[in-house]
Amino acid sequence: MFTVLLIVHGLLAVALLGAITHQAVSVWLPARKPAGTFVRRFRSVPATSYANAIVVLYLVTAVLGAIVYTEYRVVVRVVLEQLDLWKTNGVFELKEHFAAVGLGVLPAYWYYWRTPLSGEHARTRAALTAILAFIVWWNFLVGHVLNNVRGFGS
Amino acid sequence: MTVTRSFPVFAVVFAAAYAIAYVICVEKNYALVTYHPAIYEWGLGVQKAKDGPAMYWFGWMATSGIGAGVIALAASWLPERLARRLWSGWSWAVPVAVMLVFCYLLRGYFLR
Repeated sequence: MFTVLLIVHGLLAVALLGAITHQAVSVWLPARKPAGTFVRRFRSVPATSYANAIVVLYLVTAVLGAIVYTEYRVVVRVVLEQLDLWKTNGVFELKEHFAAVGLGVLPAYWYYWRTPLSGEHARTRAALTAILAFIVWWNFLVGHVLNNVRGFGS
Repeated sequence: MTVTRSFPVFAVVFAAAYAIAYVICVEKNYALVTYHPAIYEWGLGVQKAKDGPAMYWFGWMATSGIGAGVIALAASWLPERLARRLWSGWSWAVPVAVMLVFCYLLRGYFLR
């Protein structure tokens, strides 16, 4: 059951990663010319339309991650400690704390992405998007690496 | 979806207060609940590990969420002239600072 949850958690994380990356890139590196190339099309998405999906995906991914975490605590972390993999444990500790901090910024993130967008709060909106993008990327990569360290089904 | 006029104040104060409350809860171990994953058991408050490790993460988030919620609700009753002075950037500046604090607090994992 935990394997299924872990896979669903990973798939939702991929969707979240795609959405937040699109939004962050379109905010920080907006395309000024008509989208012709793949990169320019990537940068010229309507960022506003991603906000609600990002909030929902973040919440659902976090809930699934919290469920999987209980198994991780018993099955994986103990082994990492026995193997003296302190850096690996450390990056996971950061993952759990960053995920928690990210939950706290969601109401503000959601509010500042409501339409019509307020020009006055463009910097706040961009910063909140960048924080969430950083957290999602960090958590995705750390989760992926940890899964590789312990090994699937071991 | 319509939101009340005080919601931005609530959201900004919540983001900042939650981040601060969370780091304090982690450091002082103010967990509202403890989970014992090896025996699938929940307990109220901070409990010692029994038959396996104890998880306080859920409890830290619960304590911080309630604390920050109360603070943010109180702030959302501020008179409008004061509320208008609230810098929206606190909603990201404080969480970023708290994330850096965690990097510092957890440095021991990387310096062994």
